[in-house]
Amino acid sequence: MDLFRRLFTQSQAKPDEPVSKVVEPELLEEQKAPEATTVPIPAVNVVEEKDEPEIAYADGATRPLPPETVITTSNMHLTFGQSTDVGMVRSNNQDAAFSFFSTSRNADQRPDFGLFIVADGMGGHHDGEKASAATAHIVAAQVTNNVYLPMLTGENDADRIPITEALVSAVQKANADIIARIPDGGTTLTATAIIGDLAYVVHVGDSRIYLITKDGIEQITRDHSLVQRLIELDQLKPEEAAHHPQRNVLYRALGQSESLEIDALTRRLPPNSRLLLCSDGLWNVVEEKDMLGIVLAHDDPQEACDKLVALANTNGGADNITAILLYIPSS
Amino acid sequence: MPETQKFAGGSGDNSSDNSLQANSVVHRRYKILGILGQGGMGAVYQARDLNFPDVHKLVAIKEMLNPATDPAIHNSTLKLFQREANILATLNHAAIPKIFDFFDQNERFYLVMELIVGSDLEELINKTKELPVDKVIDWAIELCDVLEYLHTSQSKPIIFRDLKPSNIMIDNFGKVRLIDFGIAKIFDSDVRRHTMIGTEGYCAPEQYKGNVTTLSDIYGLGATLHHVLTRKDPRLEPPFSFGERPIREFNSNVPERFVEAIERALSLEPDKRFNSASEMKADLERLRYQPQVAFSAGSDVKDGTNFFDGLDADGAIQPKWKYPTEDEIRASASIYKEMVFVASYDTNVYGVNLSDGEFAWKYATHGGIAASPIVDESNRLVLFGSEDKTFYALDCRNGRISWSYTTQDKIRSTARIAPDVDAVFFGSDDGHLHALNVLNGRFLWKHDMGDPIRSRPFIFNDLVIVGSESGEMVALELSGNRKWGFRARRSLTSSPYVDTIEGICYVGSTDGYMYALDASSGYSSWRFRTNGPIISSPIVHEGLLYFGSADGYLYAINAQTSREKWKFQTEKAILSSPVVHNGAVYFGGIDEYFYCVDIQTGKERWKFKTNGAITSTACIASDVILIGSLDKTLYALPLVG
Ligand SMILES: Nc1ncnc2c1ncn2[C@@H]1O[C@H](COP(=O)(O)OP(=O)(O)O)[C@@H](O)[C@H]1O
Ligand SMILES: [Mg+2]
Repeated sequence: MDLFRRLFTQSQAKPDEPVSKVVEPELLEEQKAPEATTVPIPAVNVVEEKDEPEIAYADGATRPLPPETVITTSNMHLTFGQSTDVGMVRSNNQDAAFSFFSTSRNADQRPDFGLFIVADGMGGHHDGEKASAATAHIVAAQVTNNVYLPMLTGENDADRIPITEALVSAVQKANADIIARIPDGGTTLTATAIIGDLAYVVHVGDSRIYLITKDGIEQITRDHSLVQRLIELDQLKPEEAAHHPQRNVLYRALGQSESLEIDALTRRLPPNSRLLLCSDGLWNVVEEKDMLGIVLAHDDPQEACDKLVALANTNGGADNITAILLYIPSS
Repeated sequence: MPETQKFAGGSGDNSSDNSLQANSVVHRRYKILGILGQGGMGAVYQARDLNFPDVHKLVAIKEMLNPATDPAIHNSTLKLFQREANILATLNHAAIPKIFDFFDQNERFYLVMELIVGSDLEELINKTKELPVDKVIDWAIELCDVLEYLHTSQSKPIIFRDLKPSNIMIDNFGKVRLIDFGIAKIFDSDVRRHTMIGTEGYCAPEQYKGNVTTLSDIYGLGATLHHVLTRKDPRLEPPFSFGERPIREFNSNVPERFVEAIERALSLEPDKRFNSASEMKADLERLRYQPQVAFSAGSDVKDGTNFFDGLDADGAIQPKWKYPTEDEIRASASIYKEMVFVASYDTNVYGVNLSDGEFAWKYATHGGIAASPIVDESNRLVLFGSEDKTFYALDCRNGRISWSYTTQDKIRSTARIAPDVDAVFFGSDDGHLHALNVLNGRFLWKHDMGDPIRSRPFIFNDLVIVGSESGEMVALELSGNRKWGFRARRSLTSSPYVDTIEGICYVGSTDGYMYALDASSGYSSWRFRTNGPIISSPIVHEGLLYFGSADGYLYAINAQTSREKWKFQTEKAILSSPVVHNGAVYFGGIDEYFYCVDIQTGKERWKFKTNGAITSTACIASDVILIGSLDKTLYALPLVG
């Protein structure tokens, strides 16, 4: 805050001049730079770094590359992994997965943008996989057009429709398309657009998103399933749900009715947190504590995804399995 | 009797390949005339019984396919079918169609029964706009009667299991007839391995645990009545969500006591429902003979619950003290230690003792004051702008002027202090956001927004966020540099509020929307529509966003999802901004009332009548709430309830 006090004192020196054109911002950045270097690197890395011995160098000796701690955090960005597998029982994979991430560093200062989608199709005669594929592509195309491209061009910055509304209408469009083209198919849809460190989530069905931090794992979507509803109403115990004969019955999915209610929510992602999107083929057979363990144990999101899918298969792989994992940077 | 009342056509659209053809004769006795309806396991046909050559005796024949291919299973299914048919044949109740015969042919089972001329309730719902409530009460009583018969007349209770509009017919005499005795259930395989869509919508929760009792039929009846009266199909809604669709919100003609009976039948816990169909019948019968007016008149009257201290003999809340001024109080009071500061449109700011409302000092400006005085605690200043275009800083102990600063037009925007940098920010009708040094009033910078700024700036993460009457909102760095912009369709008189934990900025506009924006980028994440301009400023408390609208409602919505949790209706517009304190939200209305509403339930705890509209925000101290009214008075109400 001293920094700002100084800023203000300076501008007070020339009180009659409106200060809206002051060049301070650059100054501000420069001042901040040394501060930034002290920002801790992600907790996961710290563990490894601690083991490295500290070496003292005599003056004038050839120095090694600077230690990692002075690398600027301004280059840090989200990383992700994506895995999908047919499982051990089914003959075809009706899940659809989609990942897109863009990051740029330039004077325009656009935030990083990501779009991640999991859709779990249902219906015979390949209708399920058609429905999930169509949904992933329509949502991706709509969001690209109505959110990402305007963000890149910076056009009508102020007049754009709210991001959640753009996401919801993308899902409505996919729903209408499935009803028209694949009448016997249906699909779940769980998608998140990441802009900066905000996650905009839209969700229908029983695919899930988990927010994982070193403190634990939290399911941030709510299954639109009969058993989940019974649990919410205290009519069923969670342990009874795991083996309920109707545990796969959904009360909401795309392709079901013209009027589709879509869950939408916004979440600020804490530094170093991780976001897992998955179909029920994963969460039905892999316990949350195992998800947490695997995700925290791997620095590479792709490796963690593959491990998650492998564990689901080890545990029977009764359904198609899909996992998308995002690692949020430290700042 | 019209013979072909509602044929889908002899060999028309609905008939699948294997269905019986029109004019064919089955079982050497029944001549098929057409299809009455399509059921889950096969069609229901209309046929003529040829055993009565001289009369035109018509029957209904229900067909059921036997999907079992294993001969053993096929045989046991056949046995079950025969047993069920035998039970049905022995039943004798006016609302149950007679069973005449049953047989099987070509791997299919057939049940021959009385033909009912009329239509099922589902058709009736679809064909009509509204069904008379009196009629629905009659049907409900008849349904209770037939359920009572099924549940008690045999040695073992017969549970219908599947009460829903499509299984209830209303015959040409307007009487209820139960069809579809679940006999088809024998054939219904319950093996559902794949993810699938669809729940029944009318089934009681315990049926999903395999605990079916006679009370499950009571739930099914409640669900059916709910659908008939609200016309909201439960199959299109989340399961067991009847409670989220209060009947009278969709149909105000339904008497409160009928609503209560249906709600009781819909209790999730079976033992909270009626104990039996006969008990429910008795309850509904009382309803039938009650004059209709009695319900609607009494329904809205609140019985005075939860009285507390501070109420006088009439149950009205009594102010601890009142402070009269000479003109409207449009803005909010503020408190510092033992002093209250209140601005009046009479051009004065008053210093008043918090404990007894005694006058301490006043300061006169040259214009009405519409902005709220704020306190800079570290410098002991009271700060406010006046319509005389000037911004004032007074010593809060004695009301003496410390400094002033003049803008080009009226000031109606309440100021905000950034204590870390000793700066104060406020808007003016001159179109600028002004930044001054709070110690001495020295000019720091101003930002031109082109249109009057009447909202109060918010400071978050070294950004000053403010909206203007053109609907533009900007976030400025503390240096005055523009960080981001946003535009609503109409003016932003409502002040932005930032949830500092989530970093989301909320602001209402006179375009009727409440907007949620990422406070660090300005990208808008959602908007929530009300039916009137929003001038009231929002606040967030424990994940819920509260604000009023000129449509007369105070809204509580989930800040993450923008879903409404509840809304509270007042008589007129709400311009005042809500304040949350101890589980209650406080706000004033143009209807002259000051309200205290429970944040959990959205129900009124108490209200206090002033003699003028309330546009300002309440100010809450340890045991007192201060609220100014356009009746020129500042009220200090005891903090109760
Ligand atoms: N006895 C009957 N008389 C006239 N129409 C009938 C009769 N029984 C059934 N229907 C018609 O056929 C439709 C389906 O019959 P239902 O017994 O409910 O079949 P399902 O068991 O497959 O649901 C009903 O909705 C009704 O319109
Ligand atoms: Mg039926």
